[in-house]
Amino acid sequence: MKISRNPDRRRFLRTAAGVAAIPAASCTRAGRRWRFLTDEQADTIGAICDQIIPPDQDPGAVSAGVVHFIDRQLKGHYAYLQDAYIKGVVEIEQAAQEKFGKRFSALASEQQLDLLREREKTAFFRMIADHAMQGFYGDPRHGGNRDFASWKMMGIPNPPVRGRQQHDLTKS
Amino acid sequence: MPKLRNIFLAAGLFVVAALLIAPGGSLLYYRSTKGEGCARCHEIRPSFDMWAASTHRTISCNDCHGGLLTPDADFHASNLRRLVRHVRDDAPQQILMSGQGEIERLTARCQECHQREYAAWKAGPHSATYADIFTDAEHNRKRLLMDDCLRCHGMHFQGGIEDLVTPVATEGPWKLVREEMAGKPTMPCVTCHEVHKKGQPLGPRAPRKQPVSSARQAVAPASLGLFDRRTKVHVAVDLMPVPQIYEGGRPVKMSPDPRQALCYQCHAPEAGGQAWSGDDRTGLGVHEGISCLACHDPHTQQTRASCATCHPRLSNCGLDVEKMDTTFKDPASKHNVHTVKCADCHPKGVPPKRNRGLSIVSSLR
Repeated sequence: MKISRNPDRRRFLRTAAGVAAIPAASCTRAGRRWRFLTDEQADTIGAICDQIIPPDQDPGAVSAGVVHFIDRQLKGHYAYLQDAYIKGVVEIEQAAQEKFGKRFSALASEQQLDLLREREKTAFFRMIADHAMQGFYGDPRHGGNRDFASWKMMGIPNPPVRGRQQHDLTKS
Repeated sequence: MPKLRNIFLAAGLFVVAALLIAPGGSLLYYRSTKGEGCARCHEIRPSFDMWAASTHRTISCNDCHGGLLTPDADFHASNLRRLVRHVRDDAPQQILMSGQGEIERLTARCQECHQREYAAWKAGPHSATYADIFTDAEHNRKRLLMDDCLRCHGMHFQGGIEDLVTPVATEGPWKLVREEMAGKPTMPCVTCHEVHKKGQPLGPRAPRKQPVSSARQAVAPASLGLFDRRTKVHVAVDLMPVPQIYEGGRPVKMSPDPRQALCYQCHAPEAGGQAWSGDDRTGLGVHEGISCLACHDPHTQQTRASCATCHPRLSNCGLDVEKMDTTFKDPASKHNVHTVKCADCHPKGVPPKRNRGLSIVSSLR
């Protein structure tokens, strides 16, 4: 590229605008709701988790942010489980289509339970059940237990009220 | 040589152009998206959504968190690190405030609109500085400094007690590791107020046409919540517990005021919940069942004008309540105003009430 000793103003501005646009252009995930999951995968995982911890007088798994917990962890500590999740979701979606002709999240509750009971002993079900519990009962800083839903349900005060013993070391 | 010079010229032009146009372009982008440009980075979306529904939604992100022109190298370095992590698809679990500089910017921004509250806080004990708290020789000789001190004093400090004060021992002299922290407040506005809390923005304050009746008063300001150092998030006051306090085996009557939950986080009893254990200051005796905030101003903590809220000037004894022998009149008094009982001054028995005036407090019980 030949650089003029007196670069014209248009080229100067065009080049600079290009430089300024680099960070924006580099972002390919703008506007997405989830860090790892697609909306469809999140719906399926949410439906499974809501069968494991269904809403009643207290929030269920989805309301308590369990899907957010799983999504966040799949980009962090559980990144090694990404494939397992994708395969598990694909398998259960295929089964839902074959048996009922609908997406898993669109099935009636009893139909969802039918499919899940058949898979209760699988590694995928055990994994998602474990993660649903972790997201529901764990600390909200990890993405789940929104508004301390499970702790409120169990009557656990948060933050705990804990004073210190005011022990005078000069008198001991 | 001319070729090399051209390369240097081109590189120089890139840098100059970027420096000149990138800030302007970013500012334009930020303004044109009304702040939502910040949320394009999806890990900030939850914070953006909270702000967009909050009492402070008319105040831009830049105003509190800083922008391209903020003169703080740490702030820009922190943002660059975030950008790198974002581009590498390695965002942290939580998006947190970037450090002391951001806390100071926030506090200064609070002051701009909440001048009266800021002045009151500044005049009270909750504006205590790092030097006030952590280099207090009288305290440090008696009690060992520990990380847990930072739970209530310096909850925004990024580091442990050894990063803040030295030596961590009962023999001084003590000094702050980072001397520039000496004059910074340990309990800034965002200790007890969550800026992104959901609510309606306040408009200009119009003169009230009539007093607000108690039924129409807000139970607690929308923003009230504790910054929990462990999780680095605010916990709204309506989610926090007001503990049951005991005097021996007797459950103490607790005020239903939910704002007290905030006080009890730091002025907390030990695990057994006994009144006056640990840092507890629960009212007993004639003041049992009364909220901390019935007497203490929330920002200055002063109680000077509080007696008249409930008491007629003269008590049932015919004495001016403010001149009775309690710590309210004289801090050296042996009768702590928090726990004073009728029997403290009437050890041989409380005389029957004279019909001299109705105590509002008594009539409410």
